[in-house]
Amino acid sequence: MVIRARLARILVWALALVPVVFFLAGLRPADFDDVPGLLNVLGRLTGVLGLAFLLLSAALSARVPGFDLPFGGLTRLWNTHHLLGASALVLLLLHPLLLAFSAQGYGQGLAFETLFPPLSDLATWGGWLALLLMMTFLAPSFSFFGPPDYERWKRVHDLAPFAVILALAHTFLFSRTMPAHLDIVVWAGFALLAVGAVLWRFVFSRRVGRLPYAVVQVDRPANNVIELTLEPKRRGLRYRAGNFVYMTPFDSELEAGCGEEHPYTLSSSPREPNLRIAIKDLGNASRALQSIQCGSRVTVEGPYGRFFKNPDDVPIPELWISGGIGVTPFLARMRHLDRLDQGGDIRFIYCVQDEARALYLEELRALAGTIPGFGLIPHYFYRQGPLSAAFLREHCGDIEQREVYICGPQPLNRLAQSHLRALGVDRWSIHTEEFELL
Amino acid sequence: MKKFIFAVFIAFWASVGTVAVLQVLTPEPPTGDDPDSPAVFDLGEVAEHDSLDDCWMVIEGKVYDFTDYVGQHPAPPSVLEPWCGKQATEGMRTKGIGRDHSPAAWAMLDDYRIGKLADD
Repeated sequence: MVIRARLARILVWALALVPVVFFLAGLRPADFDDVPGLLNVLGRLTGVLGLAFLLLSAALSARVPGFDLPFGGLTRLWNTHHLLGASALVLLLLHPLLLAFSAQGYGQGLAFETLFPPLSDLATWGGWLALLLMMTFLAPSFSFFGPPDYERWKRVHDLAPFAVILALAHTFLFSRTMPAHLDIVVWAGFALLAVGAVLWRFVFSRRVGRLPYAVVQVDRPANNVIELTLEPKRRGLRYRAGNFVYMTPFDSELEAGCGEEHPYTLSSSPREPNLRIAIKDLGNASRALQSIQCGSRVTVEGPYGRFFKNPDDVPIPELWISGGIGVTPFLARMRHLDRLDQGGDIRFIYCVQDEARALYLEELRALAGTIPGFGLIPHYFYRQGPLSAAFLREHCGDIEQREVYICGPQPLNRLAQSHLRALGVDRWSIHTEEFELL
Repeated sequence: MKKFIFAVFIAFWASVGTVAVLQVLTPEPPTGDDPDSPAVFDLGEVAEHDSLDDCWMVIEGKVYDFTDYVGQHPAPPSVLEPWCGKQATEGMRTKGIGRDHSPAAWAMLDDYRIGKLADD
């Protein structure tokens, strides 16, 4: 699975090199004769590679359910999307500068004229507009002006398709990146991928991908956590334990977040007729959801993610480490194993501040008692301090032999990973679920 | 990574700003016809050089001999051929879909200038 995910990522990056190969094939020795010529080649090369990264990044943004599996889950797919976007921005910022510096080599004032030609030069100004849009929609992604608000980030990110279209127009008007008509063929291929992704995101996923559900029960496992039970109004979602979905509530009495989609992990077993979703008050939308009305309508899009290698059984001994609301995928898996009457050698270290703050502790204890071979080990921060390597070794003597799954706050995630590596756990055996996408 | 991207973003605007400031501060070079190219040709003389092996063009009233440049032009020679021996200002101004050649391309013209077109 890990190797396949790696291959999928390598394939994406290799695909970006296709236009570069054609571009390089069209170069002649005379292009490298002097420094301005070399700068010109580099300027065009950064443009070609930057556009390829931008279009592939757009293509990966589609969020088609199942498409994320070869990449090892949606979070990892988005990591690649994020890296491609970052690389595109850096290259496309260099692109006009290198061309301007190159032009300066041919005469005074030409750098300025290259950057700021007459308004009639639509190709250049189209490129400028694309770049300015890119800076705008990527500024929150890279926290240029402080940590972004999720909904504002999403709205600003919706400018991306316009930047992509302008960047393509800029390239087609210049139409000299590759020999003959190859540029049209190559860029049209990339553009189709990107446009297909955008169409899926903004048209098909909204009509076909989102399944209607009704809230039929709201439980409160803690004062800042609710668990919704959702009944399908049409067909039910097919998913595996540990998957997550994007849920959009349509309760007009919500103080915030009505009609806004957010990712949540499913806490139910796929064998249950209804979906269950545990939601902790972590932001405006999830806070407002704490008072969602029974009977209100929601839509669910997914499933996404690939946390567990084998959600339905336990062929290899496992160690689970969770903290806070990160318990959700594990709760789903325990409920699922219980429904399947499936046992297995699992150690579950559940990290909380104290017993009063442990979510679902009673149910977890009950499930641990019924699943053969399961061991639940609570770890209380206030009493035992931060999770230590010694604690892990004490409760899991054969830790190197286990597949390890971690889901929790970033500090716990990092700490657990450093202990695991120090204890000799292979990094391919460590699986994490992270929701901090920015 | 965020810090690196932000540094590139700042460096970009610093560079664009520097180019703009230098443009404002640099005095305009004197303009006018170059006294070193006194040769004057009429369109009939230019029309005799209408092949890729001997390619003259008239661009904005000035006469250029592009015979040595044909092989270096980014687009294939077949794009240049129809303009050899003719008024080529339109070709220079409307490369691609109505788009002008770059300032750098205009600056390169001087290297190939051999004279100017005779007044009617």
